[in-house]
Amino acid sequence: MKIEVAGIKKAYSRKKVLTDISFSMDAGSCAAILGSNGSGKSTLLSILAGVRKADSGAFYVYGCPSREQGKNCPEPMQGTDLLREPGQIPKVLGYVPQGDPLMEELSAWDNLRMWYDRKTLERELSGGALKMLGIDSFLKMPVRRMSGGMKKRLSIGCAVVSHPGILVLDEPSAALDPVCKENIRSYLNVYRKEGGIVLVATHDAQDLELCDMCYILRDGTLHRWQYGGDFHKLAEELCEKNF
Amino acid sequence: MKQTAAYFLAQLKRAARLLPGQILADIAVCSCVGVFACLLIAQGALAAEGTRYRIGMVGDLSDSYLGFGIAAVQEMDDSRFMIELVPMSEQEAEAALRRGELYAVMRVPEGLMESIVYGENDKLVTYTAAQGQQGLGTMVMGEITDIASTLVTCSQSAIYAMQRVLADQGRGDEIGWETDKLNLALIQMVLDRGGFGEVEVLGYGDGLSLELYYFCGMIFLFLLLSGLLNSALFVHRNSAFSCFLKARGVGAFWQILGEYLAYLLLVLAGLLVLCLPLGFGLGRGYLGIPEWEGMGAAPFLAFVPVLFPVAAMFAALQFFLFEAADGIVNGILLQLICGIGMGYLSGYFYPSAFFPEKMRMLGELLPSGAAARFAQAGALGKISAAAWTAVFVWLSVFIVLTALVRWRRIR
Repeated sequence: MKIEVAGIKKAYSRKKVLTDISFSMDAGSCAAILGSNGSGKSTLLSILAGVRKADSGAFYVYGCPSREQGKNCPEPMQGTDLLREPGQIPKVLGYVPQGDPLMEELSAWDNLRMWYDRKTLERELSGGALKMLGIDSFLKMPVRRMSGGMKKRLSIGCAVVSHPGILVLDEPSAALDPVCKENIRSYLNVYRKEGGIVLVATHDAQDLELCDMCYILRDGTLHRWQYGGDFHKLAEELCEKNF
Repeated sequence: MKQTAAYFLAQLKRAARLLPGQILADIAVCSCVGVFACLLIAQGALAAEGTRYRIGMVGDLSDSYLGFGIAAVQEMDDSRFMIELVPMSEQEAEAALRRGELYAVMRVPEGLMESIVYGENDKLVTYTAAQGQQGLGTMVMGEITDIASTLVTCSQSAIYAMQRVLADQGRGDEIGWETDKLNLALIQMVLDRGGFGEVEVLGYGDGLSLELYYFCGMIFLFLLLSGLLNSALFVHRNSAFSCFLKARGVGAFWQILGEYLAYLLLVLAGLLVLCLPLGFGLGRGYLGIPEWEGMGAAPFLAFVPVLFPVAAMFAALQFFLFEAADGIVNGILLQLICGIGMGYLSGYFYPSAFFPEKMRMLGELLPSGAAARFAQAGALGKISAAAWTAVFVWLSVFIVLTALVRWRRIR
């Protein structure tokens, strides 16, 4: 699978948030998008997820929409523009927004049942993505009693229902404890190894370590940045270059 | 569509989890309001039974005709059960008026009767009410004064005409006796005025008795303010969830529809909680509704389904207010202000027939007015197509507006 984002633009009234966003990613890759608060990271991700509409631009997908490869792939895409065919997005892309998209009054099971049929859910809990995320350990717990980490894992579990080829996460590690971060990181590593594409907006050093590409979003455009594994050095460089 | 159905089912589960708490809250509120209403009704009934309006009569009461008139009103007229005329001095009347012991003071100017007898009619009886506002009592008293003035002047004309005829016929010695007879005949007519005609009360809200009018008003008010009780459904609202749903292919309209149906379930549960004691009270005859007298709870049970469309419309209104408000506290405040304001304008607290024309028209145009017309017509078993349309239009408008607000929020 391969994705190509070309010339995405978005303005709120007169304020231009995204002026020209273009990048491409191959199967099994992970890109981090950094940027100051209000720079447009969430807007970009929500456009890719089909929540908001871009003023112009395209989001092409080539290959199998899910992580099923070879014969298991039902209908490979040949440069489908998801912005023009938003109905295809749920099949291709899993989106985890900044807050937790969960019903607080319901249990983890009830939240998952909204998206999974019973058979698939039981299968995923016994040996699939949901097992890997450790959701089986708090299945009956109401969301309102869960910790931030549990909620985030459950949110990811809800997002990957259709085995999407692309996973878009908006600040997944914000305010999480190290154990939980590690749990999510492990899952995302497996996800990549299975051929999935991960796009993550973050301020967290550990999320950067997961990624092989780093982009800085500033003044509405993406700037490719070389990340050598030292977060402090990256921060200093960004300060020097006035990012 | 599959996702939308799954979302609706999840919302139903959510509403079902909240339902026991909501029902307990409904029972608590209904009990408090019920006890309060019973106390008010009992107090009002007692007060109404014992009420006689005391009116102080001051000024020149020395004339025998006037004395006879006051005595006739106090001893013979039907109004003696409602009105007590108390002759007193100006100072006593003023003090009693200030203490609230008098409803009003009537001042009879000196020489009033001479003025009437001689046809001059240049003296005015002044009526001073204790209440500062232009209330029903003062309006009625104004009408009575008007009628009395007309009676007196018309009687004068009759007496003068009779005296002229007797004088022309050379029967001057009979004038005194015949004048007294004519006066007595006129007084007899005034005392027997009940036989002149029959008072037919058209009622409120297109023919409802006052009891049924307020009975409906109480239910509407409960429905209008039930958003306060059902606010728990909106406490954990977050836009991330709406965004996620959109990303999964559930658009703003379908989100709202799924959530609204779950909310409606809570509102209907609250309505049924309210209807149980009302049905019981009507069945046992504790609540007296003239239209349903002696029919037990059957007419009320037939009336309850009529309330469902109204409940659906109010639920849509509340849903819109919660969606439009920024935060749960603002939502609750908005519910309260809109509920009380609309309820007042549409006559839930006080019959709108007494409101100025423009205010009444506004009250009828509002959703609360449409609901009142619909359910009041339903109580009499004659809902018109226009009433159905008004309720349906408001319901649709609120659903669409709510979806628009949600769409703006997540776009």
